[in-house]
Amino acid sequence: MDLEYTPEQNAFRAEVRAWMEAHVPKTPLKTLEGREGYDQHVEWERELASGNWGMVTWPEAYGGRGLDLIRWLIFEEEYYRAGAPLRANQNGIFLLGPTIMEYGTDEQKARFLTPMAKGEVIWAQAWSEPNAGSDMAAIRSRAVRDGDHYVISGQKTWSSRAAFADWCFGIFRTDSESKRHKGLSFILLPLDSPGVTIRPIRQLHGETGFAEIFFDEVRVPVENRIAGEGEGWNVAMATAGFERGLMLRSPARFQAAAKRLVALYKEHAATASPAAHEAVLQAWMDAEAYALNTYSVAATVIAGGHIGAEASLNKIFWSELDRAAHRAAMSLLGATAELRTLPDGAANIWQEGYIFSLSGPIYAGSNEIQRNIIAERLLGLPR
Amino acid sequence: MDFRFTEDQLNLREAIRDYLTGEHTPEVLRRLDVEGGRDAAIWDGLIGMGIGGLLVPEAEGGLGMGLIEAAIVAVELGRANVSEPIADTALVATPLLGSDQRAAIAAGALKVALAHPINPWIADLDSADMVLAGEAALPAPEDPAPVDTVDPLRRLFAPIECAADDRLLDRAALIAAAQLIGGAERMLELATDYAKTREQFGQPIGSFQAIKHHLATVAVKLEFARPVLWRAAYAAQQRAARTPIHISHAKVAATDAAMLAAETAIQVHGAMGYTYEVDLHFWMKRAWALAGAWGDRAWHQRRIEAAVIGGGMAIGPETTFASELNHG
Repeated sequence: MDLEYTPEQNAFRAEVRAWMEAHVPKTPLKTLEGREGYDQHVEWERELASGNWGMVTWPEAYGGRGLDLIRWLIFEEEYYRAGAPLRANQNGIFLLGPTIMEYGTDEQKARFLTPMAKGEVIWAQAWSEPNAGSDMAAIRSRAVRDGDHYVISGQKTWSSRAAFADWCFGIFRTDSESKRHKGLSFILLPLDSPGVTIRPIRQLHGETGFAEIFFDEVRVPVENRIAGEGEGWNVAMATAGFERGLMLRSPARFQAAAKRLVALYKEHAATASPAAHEAVLQAWMDAEAYALNTYSVAATVIAGGHIGAEASLNKIFWSELDRAAHRAAMSLLGATAELRTLPDGAANIWQEGYIFSLSGPIYAGSNEIQRNIIAERLLGLPR
Repeated sequence: MDFRFTEDQLNLREAIRDYLTGEHTPEVLRRLDVEGGRDAAIWDGLIGMGIGGLLVPEAEGGLGMGLIEAAIVAVELGRANVSEPIADTALVATPLLGSDQRAAIAAGALKVALAHPINPWIADLDSADMVLAGEAALPAPEDPAPVDTVDPLRRLFAPIECAADDRLLDRAALIAAAQLIGGAERMLELATDYAKTREQFGQPIGSFQAIKHHLATVAVKLEFARPVLWRAAYAAQQRAARTPIHISHAKVAATDAAMLAAETAIQVHGAMGYTYEVDLHFWMKRAWALAGAWGDRAWHQRRIEAAVIGGGMAIGPETTFASELNHG
């Protein structure tokens, strides 16, 4: 066990810090969930890419820097330390990117990864359907083979970023006779394809961060399929692993929130409830524990280990700590908690954060599904 | 930066786990409960494994290991619910004593009880050869007055007035946290095993989501308590400036995991869990005891609060391992 950074790792931290200090927008961007804020966030993605920071763990050939997970954690720590914006392309870089890296052909890697790292193509996720939420194997949207194309018909819903994004990735039933997990394929397509209709859905906060996608005989070239026909479920499960696991929610995000929460507590200490006081300390401890666990998992992965069902432990922990931390902030704010704009004119980021945190235990596989996975695959309880 | 155990550390864990699984079975716990709690054969066995000399320098006949290894052993002692005073003597007291005393501990010839004003009792004073009290090593008193405890295998006695030694408190809290983690792991296993075999409504109760979700929640709590313990042990080994905060965090996290594991395990066992026949109660009562020992949750949380809210400790994403090591 060695919990000290090497001089090279410290130098890397200094390099990231200097770049972030020079480039992170001085005024907060508008919410990523709305049109105006989305455009600002895409602009930031391109700014990041200009510094070659799009996705530091990817090979240089695909717009990355070929760095290991420890450097990625350091990058994330400096990113959140600087208060840099959320990643508009998080569905792409954190979910689809690693999937293509693992299952894509060389041609697909070259075609999709570089524009993703550069922020030129923003990705949406198209998995859930009206009757296939937690029960994702109930997917019905079809992709029927017609020569060197698939013809896609059906409906996806709650697709993050789909109201504004350029492309989507999803799983579709390529074998019309198949049931459940079999006969599904993982396919990528542009959201401006003929036959695609997007209907933005207003979310809890009033913005349209996700959308329904209707497919009416949309023609997609076969080369847009990742991995073999009928292997979509396994590919999707690997992607879901990335989503729940190491990358999507880096610990730095929660450590930065815990630091802000401590500052908020100090402002409101005189009126804080004992429960809020307790929750502030718990938020700091849990963010710290999450960071330590992530370094531990990263060391295992670097040494050739694999994250399997353990990712479900992660997903529960970060989503529930995020909700608890924001609940504490709402409590500290008291009567001002309901205001969208605070008396000093700033947006109420704690309220925005609290609303968003309520989605955490639901998306990426609800926490009830995660608890089933832990019980069955890690504890060995019967199905 | 490599947050993994070494091969040697993994081998140590395996060796002690194998030994205790074979020799310190639930049948032993039940026998000790009837016979009065201690067995020279168990003490001798642990000394034979080298645990007495774990922290004793090799030049003095010990294994020359550090606090990460001590915590690894303590987790296993907690898993097996070992009640011999080996943790207090060999894993806490040793580095605070002189070389003759260390050599005697390595040989299994000296048992040390620990006195600190934070505890309203002293454990194992009856079998101790000496008491570490404040910074003084005192001879153990004759005929100490017993204190009644809920844990049938713990032996407690009236406290001795002494000064507070922070080094002793921190080490003992770290080792208590490790034992709590081990106990929590074992309680989760006991409850999981029971859920796989106990049938109601024609199927194992572990197939019901209500049971699954209870146990999964314990697994999450434990998963994120463990690395807190290992970081605390590492910091203590390195004499890092933030060690007391890390140990307090470990004690809080381990306590929460153990208390949740205990309450969940009894719930999953149902009425069986409320009986003295099911072994769960040994671990559950040890968790209650260790939760309050060497600074309870509130005490350790106040220490964290003083640093995180009250004071000058830098927090934030870049501080996880920053500027805290090798400052002691």
